[in-house]
Amino acid sequence: MSDPVAAFKLVLCGDGGTTTFVKRHLTGEFEKKYIATLGVEVHPLVFHTSHGTLCFNVWDTAGQEKFGGLRDGYYIQGQCGIIMFDVTSRITYKNVPNWHRDLERVCENIPIVLCGNKVDVKERKVKTANVTFHRKKNLQYFEISAKSNYNFEKPFLWLARKLVGNQGLEFVAAPALAPPEVQVDDETKAKIEADLELAANAPLPDEDDADL
Amino acid sequence: MADTEPKPVEATEESHDPQFEPVIRLTETVAASTHEENEDVLFKMRAKLFRFHKEDTEWKERGTGDVRLLAAKDTGKVRLVMRRDKTLKVCANHIVSKDMTLSPNVGSDRSWVWNVTADFAEGTASAETLAIRFANSENAGLFKKAFEDAQEANEKLKGDKPAEDVTSTDVDEEEAKEEAKEEAKEEAKPAEEEAKPEAEEKKAE
Repeated sequence: MSDPVAAFKLVLCGDGGTTTFVKRHLTGEFEKKYIATLGVEVHPLVFHTSHGTLCFNVWDTAGQEKFGGLRDGYYIQGQCGIIMFDVTSRITYKNVPNWHRDLERVCENIPIVLCGNKVDVKERKVKTANVTFHRKKNLQYFEISAKSNYNFEKPFLWLARKLVGNQGLEFVAAPALAPPEVQVDDETKAKIEADLELAANAPLPDEDDADL
Repeated sequence: MADTEPKPVEATEESHDPQFEPVIRLTETVAASTHEENEDVLFKMRAKLFRFHKEDTEWKERGTGDVRLLAAKDTGKVRLVMRRDKTLKVCANHIVSKDMTLSPNVGSDRSWVWNVTADFAEGTASAETLAIRFANSENAGLFKKAFEDAQEANEKLKGDKPAEDVTSTDVDEEEAKEEAKEEAKEEAKPAEEEAKPEAEEKKAE
């Protein structure tokens, strides 16, 4: 695969499902269970764009504050940021200024996106009109849903455009290289067939499929 | 007086666009290959893809987008390629081979489960158990038909070895006859001669 023309450190923070959001981009999966992230996890997220391949090294720091707060090391040399909150929980929006203060203290004047997550939920506690923090502090705001994928690419697209100084940048199709053909021996085949039965008997999640 | 004063522009979602100094300035567009340029789309339908996580014994979403069956223009070999909406990242990429069986998923009439020994979505070969779900059972049926047709087509390609396949020789002879007829027609129509060298050039490439 083509090497990225640029890599950026992206600091992801806030309390609104940051890990679920990263997983959605990494593997496509949607993790419903809440697992507080321990320590820091760095995930390289590669995007193929009209202006070359870009890589965001996403630092997921969620949950850290519960274990003694974030250290400056998490923010140092951050080139862009995403602050996330949960529109179904007022306290997560109230925390946004704290996250922003900590991020800005170490990384001055970097592009930051504020994301209101879980907009698919009907009973919203934080209405769009009440989200005003981004205007005062020069952030971009997007309403997203990691569950339905609504606007899920927007934060990265906006950051990519700012970081390379080109508003015309778009995501393009990633290369789909010719897949190999593999011969399978009988033993492997039998094992695979057993796995298939197990899988066929496990129900698929979330039947609603509003997006199909 | 009040009329001459400029009214403050209200900051709407659209007009609020903070500016920053770029980290790196990329001005040129880069031509990127999808590696699908020399393929024909045989089938395309919106679907949701899952893969089975053995440790958790549960299905995890892999992506939502168009599932497609692509046939190579030169060899005719068919592969399955699926990309996620918006980011256009590859979430499935494998040859449609005879050893695959589309099995229904428990309690669903619009989903199929199958095994892949070498899925190339991540750029390395990986064994996966995949499931795909469509909007309705009709769509699921159309996919199954196209998938099985592709399996058969790929199997035929394997059998196209001159020594063992008699039927293909017959086909070749038929084709040769057809070609001879075509040539005869073209000779009769000199106006079409110009198109011929171009076609030959393409073959030579």
